[in-house]
Amino acid sequence: MKLDYSLVTRRTFLNTLFGGWLVAFFSGTVFAVMRFAFPTLGKEPDFVVLNRKDFLDLPNNSIKRFPWGGTVGFYFKKADGSILALKGVCSHMECNVDYKPAEKRFYCPCHQGWFDENGTNVAGPPPKPLEIFVISEEGEKLIIAKKGVKVELPKA
Amino acid sequence: MNCPRLKDWLDERYDLTGVVRLAKGKLIPEHRYDFLYYTGGITLYLFIVQILTGMLMAFYYVPHIDFAHKSIIEIVTKLNMGWFFRSCHHWGAQLAIVFLFIHLFGTLLMKSYRKPREFVWVTGFILLGISIFFGLSGYLLLWDERAFAAVRVATGGAGAFPFIGWFIKGFLRGSMDVTGDTLIRFYAFHVAILPIITLGLIGLHVLLVQYHGMSVPLSLAGEKRREVPFFPNMLYKDLSLWLVITGILATLAVFLPPEIGVKADPLAPPPENVKPEWYFLFLMQTLKLFPGVILGMNGETIAIVVVTALILFFFLIPFLDKKSSRGEKSPLFTWIGVLYLVYFLAMTAVGFFS
Repeated sequence: MKLDYSLVTRRTFLNTLFGGWLVAFFSGTVFAVMRFAFPTLGKEPDFVVLNRKDFLDLPNNSIKRFPWGGTVGFYFKKADGSILALKGVCSHMECNVDYKPAEKRFYCPCHQGWFDENGTNVAGPPPKPLEIFVISEEGEKLIIAKKGVKVELPKA
Repeated sequence: MNCPRLKDWLDERYDLTGVVRLAKGKLIPEHRYDFLYYTGGITLYLFIVQILTGMLMAFYYVPHIDFAHKSIIEIVTKLNMGWFFRSCHHWGAQLAIVFLFIHLFGTLLMKSYRKPREFVWVTGFILLGISIFFGLSGYLLLWDERAFAAVRVATGGAGAFPFIGWFIKGFLRGSMDVTGDTLIRFYAFHVAILPIITLGLIGLHVLLVQYHGMSVPLSLAGEKRREVPFFPNMLYKDLSLWLVITGILATLAVFLPPEIGVKADPLAPPPENVKPEWYFLFLMQTLKLFPGVILGMNGETIAIVVVTALILFFFLIPFLDKKSSRGEKSPLFTWIGVLYLVYFLAMTAVGFFS
């Protein structure tokens, strides 16, 4: 069927075709490159399994560090002997914090932030408390987990 | 050296006398602020020094989490002249940033950005951003405690950016935290991606400067112009200054070798009163001004948004300053420029001495 006139000229048609081809080509390329450059990040662990023996003879008012994904966790025995596990990363700008036994507080050297014995932010810029973990024991294993996470150990 | 036959040989094929005529015909205005014309050239020279010393160190540096720190210690202790080239690379970077800032604020206060030179400003501004990223990525390659903390804070700060923060953070780090993946990624930025972008942008920047010619400050527009040819007057002054800079650079490199901190340990806290490089101090001090929570919102996010808005405004000054683009005096933007400069200097000083 031949039309007497067309809404689309030959030039518009070709421009759209080539333009569309260019857009498709470049968006595909950019998409592929970004997919490659932006990695699969993995995620923060839900829990870590440690050796209970390593943490038995920790003196009061001190911490022992353990790896938590790419960062650090603290196994913390307070001055009164009670135990707490928390993430040793400042809630402000993610610097590792340090425990100051003399002040009985946690301290972030990057921007002078302070947290008390329970991980609550008490001074400086930190907006939130330190993250507290849940501690459980299974035989010789010490399991430190994020709050609200169900720990399922692989069957040996 | 005078080789008439070689000259003739080349002249028959390429229009060399034309090039010389062009260089001699290019005129540079002379006035009481013309020392600012040299700051760009000095920065260019320092970039060349960085490329050369960087190429040398790339022969020996190992971009791997287990060997990076050790390989730098070997470069400065075991390799012939390694200490010197590493020290030159460090001080060259410091001086390059210093001269970039002088060049930037000189351009700002002289209003050389005004019409028709907006794109010279734009390319220069992008080069400044790239240079700072050069500094951050180069610093991480040391893989010592301070670099580790600085990169965690810088990439974490980018993560506080609303909506796209997580993307920028993940893209920069290459993983959830600052790990060996981040080191390799920053190495790729530092030695491949940033240099090639920089070369292109410097080419464009210099080409645009040639195209527009040198800008004369508005306050001197009425005065009678004195002009000198680029070749040989300006070029020889440039070269003499580069020689002086080389002297300063070598002196600093020999007498003040940069320290190498303790190897980064993701479990250890950073050293007491840890500070970033001096050109990040004003940012660090600004972030400290914001409390953790403002009206129930995350103070960090607000801080990042405010800082970004201020930098964006700075970037857009050539397009906002309508008066100077019409060739009129624009005291408002002079004061804005002075304000930025004073804030930058004051916060850097506070950060440095606190």
